[in-house]
Amino acid sequence: MTITATDFNLNGSGAVTQEPETLNKIPGNRAVWVGIFAEMTEFALFFLVYFIAKAHYPEQFNQGPLELNTLAGMLNTFALISSSYFVAKALAAIRINKPDQSIKWLWRAVFCGGIYLVIKVWEYHWNVGQGIETNTNKFYTMYYYMTFNHLLHVGWASGSLLWAIHQLKVGRYTQKNHLGFTAIACYWHMVDLAWVIIFPLLYVLR
Amino acid sequence: MIVKNNTLSALDFSWILLMIITTANAFVAETAEPSLAITALICGSIAYKGRRIMDYFMELNHANSTIQFFMRSYFHVFPALIFLSDLFAEELASLTAL
Repeated sequence: MTITATDFNLNGSGAVTQEPETLNKIPGNRAVWVGIFAEMTEFALFFLVYFIAKAHYPEQFNQGPLELNTLAGMLNTFALISSSYFVAKALAAIRINKPDQSIKWLWRAVFCGGIYLVIKVWEYHWNVGQGIETNTNKFYTMYYYMTFNHLLHVGWASGSLLWAIHQLKVGRYTQKNHLGFTAIACYWHMVDLAWVIIFPLLYVLR
Repeated sequence: MIVKNNTLSALDFSWILLMIITTANAFVAETAEPSLAITALICGSIAYKGRRIMDYFMELNHANSTIQFFMRSYFHVFPALIFLSDLFAEELASLTAL
């Protein structure tokens, strides 16, 4: 069966997964997946350290999440999930040859990335006001280490979205040539995926 | 002619679902007492959210099978490890004591 770009619709019932460039293929390019697996391994090491630290300091890891600002964590999760959704919409738009629409979706994603960074910085200030600092106890050391590392990823991934916007504006990403854009989108979703594990580990589970 | 399609796509539905699950997680964080059942529930939600993002946002549904396998495995292994590290916390502590 031949699937063409006209087989799916932006915001319609067509599945965006039925896309020639991702069907049984590597979405984006090999290089970005090397990067994605390297980053996932890095986060995997953080998670393993978290498990061991939690086993050794159960009291600190039981009380720690209670002192954190769950609302900030939840809003940040909303921001990242929404940004991922906007990036997927942007990709769907370029596939039906609507670069202007694609740029609008990407700006929304960048805005969500910005919201995430603002909330995180505010949360760190709020934490300091509550006496929660990097050396308060082992749980908060893990918390700062994981969340600051993740924040850096959101920062530079937002930069890559700005790059995609620029490429769309100058016409380098088009309906027929947007593999680079797909690679950027995959990286952005990876940043979202890492947070899907970090949020419950630090804010929910005790 | 442009026909405006107002039906929800899998993408839209995934977004709404992920927001609802996140809200439920936050509610659990604020109200529930820690227990193995809660941990299992949260681990299930992590696995489901991860799968949803990978399949519909990242579009791994029909992509290269090796990438699909490793990414999906990650979101099976880590929720399982979260649960097991909670269940066998004392054993893990004694195994990793210096």
